[in-house]
Amino acid sequence: MSVIEIHGLRKSYRVYQKKEGLLASFSGLFHREYREVNAVKGIDLTVDKGEFVAFLGPNGAGKTTTLKLLSGVITPTAGEARVLGYVPWERENDYRRRFALVMGQKNQLWWDLPAQESFQLHQKIYGIEPTAFKQTKDELVDLLGVAKLLGQPVRELSLGERMKMELIAALLHSPEVLFLDEPTIGLDVVAQHNIQKFLKHYQQVRGITILLTSHYMKDVAALCKRVVIIAGGEIVHDGSLEGVIDRFSDYKILTVDFADDRMPSDLARFGEVRELAPPRAKIEVDRNQIASVLTNVLANYSILDVSVEDPPLEEVIASLFALTEKQQRDSQDANIATTAANVAAAGKN
Amino acid sequence: MHRPNYLAVFWMFARNSLIRDMTFRTNYIIEVIFGVSWALMNLGFYTLIYRLMYADGDGHANIAGWSQYQFFVFIATTILVNSLVEGFFMANAEELSELTRTGGLDFALLKPIDTQFLLSLQRVNWSAVPKLILALALLAYSIPRIDGLTLSAIQFLLYPLYIVLGTLILYSVMIGLAATSIWLGRNQSLYDFWFYITNFSRYPMEIYEGTFGSPLRFVFTYMIPILVVINVPAATLAKPLSATNWPLAAFAVFATVASLAVSRWIFQRALMSYRSASS
Amino acid sequence: MLARAQIWWTVFTMCVAERLAYRGDFVLGTTMRFLPMITQIFLWTAVFASSSNGTMVGFTRNDIVAYYLLTMVARAFSSMPGLASGIAGQIRNGEIKKFLIQPIDLIGFSLLARMGHKLVYYGVALGPFALVFYLCRDYFPGWPPAEYMAAFLLSLVLSFLLGFFLEASLGLAGFWTLEISSLLFVYMLFNFFFSGHMFPLEILPEPWRTWVGWLPLKYLAYFPAAVFLEKIPPEQLWQEMALMGAWTLFFMLLSRRLMHAGFRRYSGYGG
Repeated sequence: MSVIEIHGLRKSYRVYQKKEGLLASFSGLFHREYREVNAVKGIDLTVDKGEFVAFLGPNGAGKTTTLKLLSGVITPTAGEARVLGYVPWERENDYRRRFALVMGQKNQLWWDLPAQESFQLHQKIYGIEPTAFKQTKDELVDLLGVAKLLGQPVRELSLGERMKMELIAALLHSPEVLFLDEPTIGLDVVAQHNIQKFLKHYQQVRGITILLTSHYMKDVAALCKRVVIIAGGEIVHDGSLEGVIDRFSDYKILTVDFADDRMPSDLARFGEVRELAPPRAKIEVDRNQIASVLTNVLANYSILDVSVEDPPLEEVIASLFALTEKQQRDSQDANIATTAANVAAAGKN
Repeated sequence: MHRPNYLAVFWMFARNSLIRDMTFRTNYIIEVIFGVSWALMNLGFYTLIYRLMYADGDGHANIAGWSQYQFFVFIATTILVNSLVEGFFMANAEELSELTRTGGLDFALLKPIDTQFLLSLQRVNWSAVPKLILALALLAYSIPRIDGLTLSAIQFLLYPLYIVLGTLILYSVMIGLAATSIWLGRNQSLYDFWFYITNFSRYPMEIYEGTFGSPLRFVFTYMIPILVVINVPAATLAKPLSATNWPLAAFAVFATVASLAVSRWIFQRALMSYRSASS
Repeated sequence: MLARAQIWWTVFTMCVAERLAYRGDFVLGTTMRFLPMITQIFLWTAVFASSSNGTMVGFTRNDIVAYYLLTMVARAFSSMPGLASGIAGQIRNGEIKKFLIQPIDLIGFSLLARMGHKLVYYGVALGPFALVFYLCRDYFPGWPPAEYMAAFLLSLVLSFLLGFFLEASLGLAGFWTLEISSLLFVYMLFNFFFSGHMFPLEILPEPWRTWVGWLPLKYLAYFPAAVFLEKIPPEQLWQEMALMGAWTLFFMLLSRRLMHAGFRRYSGYGG
């Protein structure tokens, strides 16, 4: 059963085009030029109940905009979306009681008050039954291990502790859909891990649907089976994390340990040499040629050890992002549709 | 889960705000002291002016038909209405432009509760309470000192009603201004604007007369009804009831309803623009 | 030195540009400033209507109106909206760190920013100001003699500097207290009543009149206006000007001391 259905979702807005220099600023008083920004350029997506989906993409790719559209904070320029059967931007209170949005960079708790006061406010706003409220709260507080911090003003909490409180606040009304925008941003490794562990557990137990955006590949690898890559306001990949590598990296990494310190000097003919630390060499080898290169090496040299690996995920994604960004710059004015297909094609050249 | 009980939610706002104010106790006390001294200094200023007017020897002193103690009732009414506006709405309106800038508005838009209610009332400023008491004390002091005034029960009933109506008109102006800050992206001068506009309401409407005064009085009575805010309740209490005042008193009711409706419309429009202009 | 000047120029132009970017805000704010004047004219007309001889404490109604208009000019120089709260806010949210890292001085930066804002403001406000003064020319007794005119212009410049350093000092107190808003409120309150913004200080009875005469606040509004209207006796004119300069210097030094002490305290915490 699909919980989220999106068809051709688009969002564009105008920004004031500021010009350099003092004189230009003055003229800006009287005449303004605006630039149309297409934050989201036609997204189609279906998410089933109980899925944990990650949105990946470079800054400004449209991830946050998509989450805001789905939570009804902003209205799209065109397209359709349904979450739990509701059109988000109609903002029915019934819908608003069934999802939650957590933004890592913003906080919704009262800054100067202990978190528990904000929780009580949420109880009233969401109309949560007192017994259900207490039970949910105690459970969440227990899971996240923040019982001792409930009475402390939020401003005195560490970033990680604050994020846990934000999560509790968002989950008090037991939402069926959860949107997480960079929930681990700025956190240290331990805090990141704790949040990941909690999210994983909570999602499995409750079977809720979660959409997560993150910069940290660790978050994604730990939590999501399905990855949606957005770049330039469009979806360029939708599938498994492993699939990203298959699809967007055109090489594998061959690591060879030569015997007797006798390394051939012309390793470059197999591919780009990435690391040379005799007797070991790491070479990027074209995917299609891996078999022949391997045979060649084994046949002609004495080898102690050999391994073939996929390139690290971060690297693949980083180069994918860089590529899409470059393409966007190239096609900034021309109205070229950057589709998933040509991104992939360009990646292979 | 069901619809929120708005009263319960408001109670929580008030409670949380009180907790917050009490955490910053020193601050609260200072704010109270200076809120009250502001009012007292204002009172002092008019005392000085009346003293100067008496000092010229002709034995009478009034500003546009308001004797000293009538004017004190006027000032008390100003303090009363302003303390209500400050207590309930001011901090929220100020925060609105901040919320727009920092993106905190997004969270408010997610809540299953009327957004205008949430954004208008989530902060209650308890430091306005002592000013309210001061205003009542000033009323109790001034009313018996007004020459030849006997108050009827109707006046005592109408006064609080018109105080509430006046407060609501000011609220409408304020939230309307705050909502425009969403349009403009940022509005540092919102506070000034508010001050300048309401500044007109702080004086008896009778002073606006003559070639320029009359149109001004017309505009600020019938188009932006801020002259009604203080003048109608103050006159209800400080001056004898008279049939000539009824049209204006009836208009005040209409003006309140209309202001609320207009401000609601502006607010909704502003949210709509935020939703389509933001990313 | 040249490099330094270049930094300053960049900061300055940046602030001007920033100010202009929010144009709706800006035009609104400038126009609004003239509204209270109108009520003041009406109020004082009503007050003088009740007086039989037409003068109070040496002021006619026209004098009072001229006085208010002139204090508006003075306050266009001396008022610093958002300066102290801005500095205090930066201290509170940690943005102040950038002045520890970057080769630029907090007070210098703020002063340039403020000058940028003010210049833009004057650029836009000059029109409305000229119009209002032209419309109200009959309220004025005429141009003051050259000496008073010179003192008036100088006092405007000094009032800008005094206002700036005074408010900067207040904002820098944010290094020591978390909530600066109440301090600012106190300042605003005193400023409103004792700078002469609300009424000519002559209206105050003794001993208030003398006390308020000792405060630096009167230089922010009352003094420039009183100079223009020649309410300051000639023998006291330059003495008062010197006093104003001394206050300006005092707050300039104070703000520098506060800044350095504040940064020491701040970095001591480990930020």
